[in-house]
Amino acid sequence: MAEHPFDPVTLSKIANMELRAKLVADAVLTGIHKSPYKGSSIEFLEHKEYSPGNEIKHIDWKVQARTDKYYVKQFEEETNLRCYIFLDASGSMGYKSTGMSKYEYASALAASLSYLLLKQSDLVGLIGFADTAQRFIPPRSRLTHFHVLINELVMLKAAGKSHISKILNEFVEKVSRHSLIIVISDFFDDMKEMMHQLKSFQFRKNEIILFQVLDPYELTFPFETITYFESMEDDRRVLAEPKTIKERYLFEINRFIEQFKHQCFENQMDYWLVNTSAPLHQTLINYLARRKSALYPFLKI
Amino acid sequence: MISFFNPLLLFGILGAGIPVVIHLINRKKAVSHKFAAIDFLLRSDKRIQIKFKFRQWILLILRTCLFAFLSIALAKPFVTNLGGMTAGKNVPASNVIILDDSCSMHYVQQNKTFFQSAKITAKKIVENLTKEDDVAIITSADIASQILPELSHDKENILNSLERLQPGYGIMQITSALDMAIEILHTTEAPKKKIFLLTDLTENGWDFTWFESEHQKLKKYVSGVHIVDLSEGETLENVAVTQVTPVLNVSEKGGESRIIVTIDNFSPSGKKNLLTRVFVDQKMVSQGFFDIDAYESKTKEFSFYIEKGKDHIGRVETFGDNLAIDNTRYFFLNKVQQLEALLIDGDPKTNIYESETFYLEKALNPEREHASCIETAICSVHEVHNIRFDDFDIVFLCNVETLPQEKIKELETFAQNGGAVIFSLGNRVEAEYYNNAFRTLLPQQLYTTRTFSSDNSLSDERPLFLKTGVTAHPVMRDFSETYVGFLSSVNIYRLFYINPTPVENTQTILLYSDDTPALIERQVGLGKTVLLTTTIDRSWTDFPVKPFFVPLMQQLCRYVSGTVPGEIQNEIVVKQEWQYPCPYGISGIEIIDPKGTKRSLQPQFVQNESAFLYDETHIPGIYAITVEGKSHAQFPMCFSVNLDASESKLKKIDPKKITALMGDINFTLTASHRDEERTVLMGDAKKTLWGLFLFFILCMLVAESYISRK
Repeated sequence: MAEHPFDPVTLSKIANMELRAKLVADAVLTGIHKSPYKGSSIEFLEHKEYSPGNEIKHIDWKVQARTDKYYVKQFEEETNLRCYIFLDASGSMGYKSTGMSKYEYASALAASLSYLLLKQSDLVGLIGFADTAQRFIPPRSRLTHFHVLINELVMLKAAGKSHISKILNEFVEKVSRHSLIIVISDFFDDMKEMMHQLKSFQFRKNEIILFQVLDPYELTFPFETITYFESMEDDRRVLAEPKTIKERYLFEINRFIEQFKHQCFENQMDYWLVNTSAPLHQTLINYLARRKSALYPFLKI
Repeated sequence: MISFFNPLLLFGILGAGIPVVIHLINRKKAVSHKFAAIDFLLRSDKRIQIKFKFRQWILLILRTCLFAFLSIALAKPFVTNLGGMTAGKNVPASNVIILDDSCSMHYVQQNKTFFQSAKITAKKIVENLTKEDDVAIITSADIASQILPELSHDKENILNSLERLQPGYGIMQITSALDMAIEILHTTEAPKKKIFLLTDLTENGWDFTWFESEHQKLKKYVSGVHIVDLSEGETLENVAVTQVTPVLNVSEKGGESRIIVTIDNFSPSGKKNLLTRVFVDQKMVSQGFFDIDAYESKTKEFSFYIEKGKDHIGRVETFGDNLAIDNTRYFFLNKVQQLEALLIDGDPKTNIYESETFYLEKALNPEREHASCIETAICSVHEVHNIRFDDFDIVFLCNVETLPQEKIKELETFAQNGGAVIFSLGNRVEAEYYNNAFRTLLPQQLYTTRTFSSDNSLSDERPLFLKTGVTAHPVMRDFSETYVGFLSSVNIYRLFYINPTPVENTQTILLYSDDTPALIERQVGLGKTVLLTTTIDRSWTDFPVKPFFVPLMQQLCRYVSGTVPGEIQNEIVVKQEWQYPCPYGISGIEIIDPKGTKRSLQPQFVQNESAFLYDETHIPGIYAITVEGKSHAQFPMCFSVNLDASESKLKKIDPKKITALMGDINFTLTASHRDEERTVLMGDAKKTLWGLFLFFILCMLVAESYISRK
């Protein structure tokens, strides 16, 4: 039986991130082909009375003929999206049970989103971080910028401690207003601080989308034998008998997810839980289908 | 204090470290897994981790204990006996070892008899004694043959004595042995006094009433009774030939003889096709098969031909069990003693019913087929000169008026040489003539006649009847009381009183109701003479038509000829005393036992009678009797000694019964002689604990299983 081309395991074997991102983006585009939201990228929005300084070529002569006044057309291209993708590259993102690690999945997700956005001439920037910002690629809209992003994503390795709120705080001033902030992380950090910083972004009229990437083992905890669980970010380790601890663990992690989700909802942030066992393109399609309101204004596809 | 039978196995306790090592190895070998959401693990693990660790510790302890307890249980722990007067191990002790040497100890188990096992065990006990300890050794079946009836410290001598010990053939007499042991121990000052009883623990010899009466005595003088069951608690199987009864064929017409054989199956299972053979004079003469159900017995008759007129020795053998000694039973066949009796009729009549000898002849040989073994010949006084008295065993003179002088002389010689002469009187008898002519033969001198019938005008007295004397004469001993009771129904109308002058060697067999002698016996030389002081027909008495007449006449004949069956002990059991009346003129006999040991016997007085007594019947077999080295006509050629059948019953006594009998006496019962540990043999083990430990192990296994599953 032929292997599904977009299975996470298969994808993990594809070293070329660019190819991977394009495959995912193409699949997404194919998947949303029948979407009622497709249209031109430069659309007429409204008329505005001419004032000195306006370009003459934008004067709507038909209106002038009817009304004897000069009006200039205003176009939607003025709403070009500026997107910042915050990609968590801390040690915990390196966790991998089967197939792709969380980081691999997250970077593929970031690359796919970048491709989609760049393809419609939006500006896409990237901040790869752990406890500090390891990479910052300012937003550009050229398609060649995609290669830069891909290179950075490939260069980044999951390592170090995670400190999301600190990074957010660092970039809250640097990020332009009315930008789209996409944070891809497992969000294993202090929830209160994170929300505080995210709200700061929101305050600056930024739209926030949060992708919480978790491994299926983190969600189901299927361990059987007595195991030393070692932290991926520091030296902590714990010897535990999984059968004993499973119930309690699942309760704790689900409570965290639910609380995070609830706070996102309360603060009108778009939250999406991503399980790395799910095919990436399917994750995107599902997300776009459900959360059209979040991305639609920006994705003119 | 806890001790162990297998202390070496205690090294197994080191195995308790195995769970710890496994725990540590597992801990080391625990899979390491880098995990991102470790915060949530730590957050949830705080309480559970404590619980988990606690459970792990519990499991570790349980598993460690499991190994340790298993090791302890295998080491067979027991609580050391602290009872008795002293508890210390090094206190000097006086010991009496009772070896059961009864017949059942011949039982073979694992190629060894119980007695051999008993000797081995006894040696071990002796070897385990300290220098301060002393010991006496006695046997239970034969107290008379105790080996070392006095306490001794000489171990070497004791061991040598034990080595020489042989099992006996008698029955178990445990209470006698205990009596002896108490007697030995009560004289010693040792602070610790022990009795070791080495037995197969069969029921025989356990006298419960003795324990009731002597319990306090046992408790007072003995600090511990230690019983070693040499049969290891197993159920013992046995079959035995318990009875052999020869059926004498008195007829000379054929040579066929029969014996009735009884075999008992004392086993819990039935026996099929049990081969049984009869040997006579070392030749097998018959064989057959027995099918006997469990705990049942079966009797069969075996027929065979043997030469008549001779004595025969024989044995019955069966096969197929571990106690071979009771599979053989010996018997002895007397040659048939045919008696020839001459009846001299002093008053013959044409009508035979009126003849003097009519009733006597009928009494001696009722069927005319030699059923009584007494052949009779009748003659008148006139025919006597043609007859040789030596051709007969007994001569009856029935109302004989006179005899020729030469015949009287011949009769005297006949009696002196062992013949028997029996006088019966009548109206033809003259007292004076009799007193003169038969002076040397008559037991008493005749005096005068007297008539007692009321019908007779000569007397107005009632008829007399017969009775026995104060001590029963040998002729009368075998009669039942019912028969003896018939004597009172006899009517004596006329009789001869005898002269009361005492005569040597006379005994009264029967008396009249007025206490005058009716039937008198006298020893004359080697023979005997008897006088009946009334008629032997119905002229003066109705005795001849009474039921008692026939057996009395036959018994009288056998007695006077020396062949009374009751006087011959053809079969006795081991340890039973053999007794035989001493015939006149015999001053000594020899008895040769089956091993060939000869012992001379002198006559002794038993109940005013001279008899030979022999009590060395220690082994079963055929014992020969000789007089001056040869068999004698007045003695049987031999007699057989057999085992007491009670020893063949190997049913074990219930240990609970022994416990009940011992009561609060400090006692131990060891089921196996293989428990060679000193503590067991020396009775130091009181209570075993391995059952308790195994119970703990079971509990721990359940707990471990429950906790680890949870």
